[in-house]
Amino acid sequence: MRGKLPHPGSLVAFALLALVAGGFVALAAIGGERPTLLSIGPYLWRVLAFSIVQAALSTLLSLALGLALALALARRRFPGRGMVLALLGTTMVIPTIVAVFAVFAVYGRSGWAAEIAALLGWNNSFSIFGYPGILIAHVFLNGPFVARILLDALSLVPAEHWRLASAFGFSPAHVFRHLDWPVLRAELPGLAGLVFLLCFKSFAIVLALGGGPSRSTLEVAIYEALKIDLDFGRAAWLSLIQLAICLTLTGVLNWAFTRPPTAHTVRGLIRRPDARSGALQLLDAVILTAAALFIAPLAFSLLSGLNDIPDVVDADLLRAFATSMTIAVIAAMIACLLALALASAARRWRVTLRSPRVAAFYDFLPNTLLAVPPFALTAGLFLILRRFVDPSAAGIILLPLINGLAAMPFAYRSLAPRLLTAEERYGRVAASLGVIGANKLMIMDWPLIRRPLGAAFALAMALSFGDFGIIALFGGQDLVTLPYLLFERLGSYRLDEAAAIGLFIVLVAFTLAHMSGRLSHAGD
Amino acid sequence: MLVIEDCRLTWPDFTADYSMTVQTGALCAIIGPSGGGKTTLLHMIAGFEIPESGRLTFDGVDLLPLEPAKRPVAIVFQDHNLFPHLSAAQNVALGIRPSLRMSEDEIRLIDEMLEAVGLKGFGGRKPGEMSGGQRQRVALARALVSGRPMILLDEPFSSLDPGLRRDMVQLVGDLRRRRPVTILMTIHTPEDVASLADQMVFVADGRVLASDSPSAILGGTLASRIAAAVSDG
Repeated sequence: MRGKLPHPGSLVAFALLALVAGGFVALAAIGGERPTLLSIGPYLWRVLAFSIVQAALSTLLSLALGLALALALARRRFPGRGMVLALLGTTMVIPTIVAVFAVFAVYGRSGWAAEIAALLGWNNSFSIFGYPGILIAHVFLNGPFVARILLDALSLVPAEHWRLASAFGFSPAHVFRHLDWPVLRAELPGLAGLVFLLCFKSFAIVLALGGGPSRSTLEVAIYEALKIDLDFGRAAWLSLIQLAICLTLTGVLNWAFTRPPTAHTVRGLIRRPDARSGALQLLDAVILTAAALFIAPLAFSLLSGLNDIPDVVDADLLRAFATSMTIAVIAAMIACLLALALASAARRWRVTLRSPRVAAFYDFLPNTLLAVPPFALTAGLFLILRRFVDPSAAGIILLPLINGLAAMPFAYRSLAPRLLTAEERYGRVAASLGVIGANKLMIMDWPLIRRPLGAAFALAMALSFGDFGIIALFGGQDLVTLPYLLFERLGSYRLDEAAAIGLFIVLVAFTLAHMSGRLSHAGD
Repeated sequence: MLVIEDCRLTWPDFTADYSMTVQTGALCAIIGPSGGGKTTLLHMIAGFEIPESGRLTFDGVDLLPLEPAKRPVAIVFQDHNLFPHLSAAQNVALGIRPSLRMSEDEIRLIDEMLEAVGLKGFGGRKPGEMSGGQRQRVALARALVSGRPMILLDEPFSSLDPGLRRDMVQLVGDLRRRRPVTILMTIHTPEDVASLADQMVFVADGRVLASDSPSAILGGTLASRIAAAVSDG
């Protein structure tokens, strides 16, 4: 019998736990060697306080923008609205390093805003470093995302409720109280938690726009300890604390705000009774104009790089492109294979072995991984690897691995439901015919999962391709990715070249994300 | 009397053109195949759909220029009648005033109506804590409490099992005795209301193809066609 062999899924689960635990133990061992915690105490408090305050402010502003924008867009119909919605959905795929560029290009010392201020004769003493730049970048990336999620949630209000609202003569205040607010209230806490976590873990934006050693998030502080000060004890302690905070936050989020995944609904036009209120028409006009003035310049700042694309295409760029692509492909393969193994193990436990608890563990594992901060994990693994290989080789191993692990939860989310569907449809037939193992995968599952697998692969590539995370640690002479190249150009204030490279990154990432969207929305 | 004269509504793939009359105080059952325009007819009377031409009056009052909220009409849908964040009593209160600020008398009236639909003591429950049948009863109570002279029921009991469905139809019959009201209801299973309805109309292809007493409709020459149409709906 082949049944004695362990399922690939359990091997993967074991390997993942071992990897995280190994990194953790390595950190604890180093951190325990020297009593560094006390010595870094004041520094740690400063970093923690800054991380929390900037994340809280970013969250507040992102939610405010997202909320106002979602309500205004829900109430209004105008030509080009569909395109605006599509644009809102894409800001999540904008690589953070590109957002950094956008902030420089618009609000930097020679940016558009400064030029306009100079034209108007205003003295421009505004510096983007510190809170302004960080908040602008975070709100630019997260505000539209919040708006998109809230709009989707608002559109799930049953048409009957809108008819009732008309039939009862709801005023705009009643519409808000009985139709919009209950939906928003259900979504906001979870969204706030998610945006806070993202901003708390923020790396590229804070590294480039922080403008001072005390204005760091823990991720940046870990990077500085590892790369600049070579203080492994400090890195270890920071990583442990970062791990503990992120895991706790994610645990609380998962526990408090599990909600059923929202269905993709297509619905006809709903006539909102509050759309005709004059006061709301004015308010929405103000909101939409203000949001457009904030988002559009940042979103379109890259277009200035269009003319410079021919100039930046050189051997360096092509080599960086090839490196980024290679890393993205390997990361996507890692993400998809791990997700597939875990999802099929979850299905086996749920359906065949009837043990939903074990299945839930497999479901939970990818979510937990989402909580592991990449620099903390990288720090741990690097401390192990540096005993065996030199730093640039460690980078070549760790980059695709960490990027793959970061993308795995998304791959899991698109694959797991399809595998269950396949089992529900054909599981009994397959069992009675004795189709198991690899045959089952090829005959029964493949037709149903090949599109979501393609979608997951493309999305994982998009995420990895634009990522400016731990490459900051390993990048240098031997290892240059496109986002790293962009970071270097930004550092030397060569904004035109940075724009061209950023445009290039965004084009590739968007193409991949678009392919992913097409594949996941295509019928089975 | 409700008078509908040549009310035309057009969509790219569907055209409706309704003409019919219903006596004030009558219970009119509307039957016909799915997609034949039954719900659209009710939505037009309620004001959710506006006909491009034709006349729509109730007891001499032209309804067409009126907003949905100003029409003498209360409506109960097949599903999603209640707001999930409000209690049963609050959901009923919406029928009186959307602000939910109620006088002592109105609070008593709401309790009475909930009792009338068999939900005494359920006022504090949220819709999520009630069964499908109970939720529809709350919606009925709200339609009654609104004091509007016409109630539209759009497949109100279709998602309930047959026994419960007959109970609910019986309830509608009983409630008519409390207050004179004109009722139009669409229904999948004509036999449930045959004994109760004063009038039955058959709607298909966006037209009122027959209007008569239930026995005439169900036993007449149209019977076989209707039976065929209803069974595939």
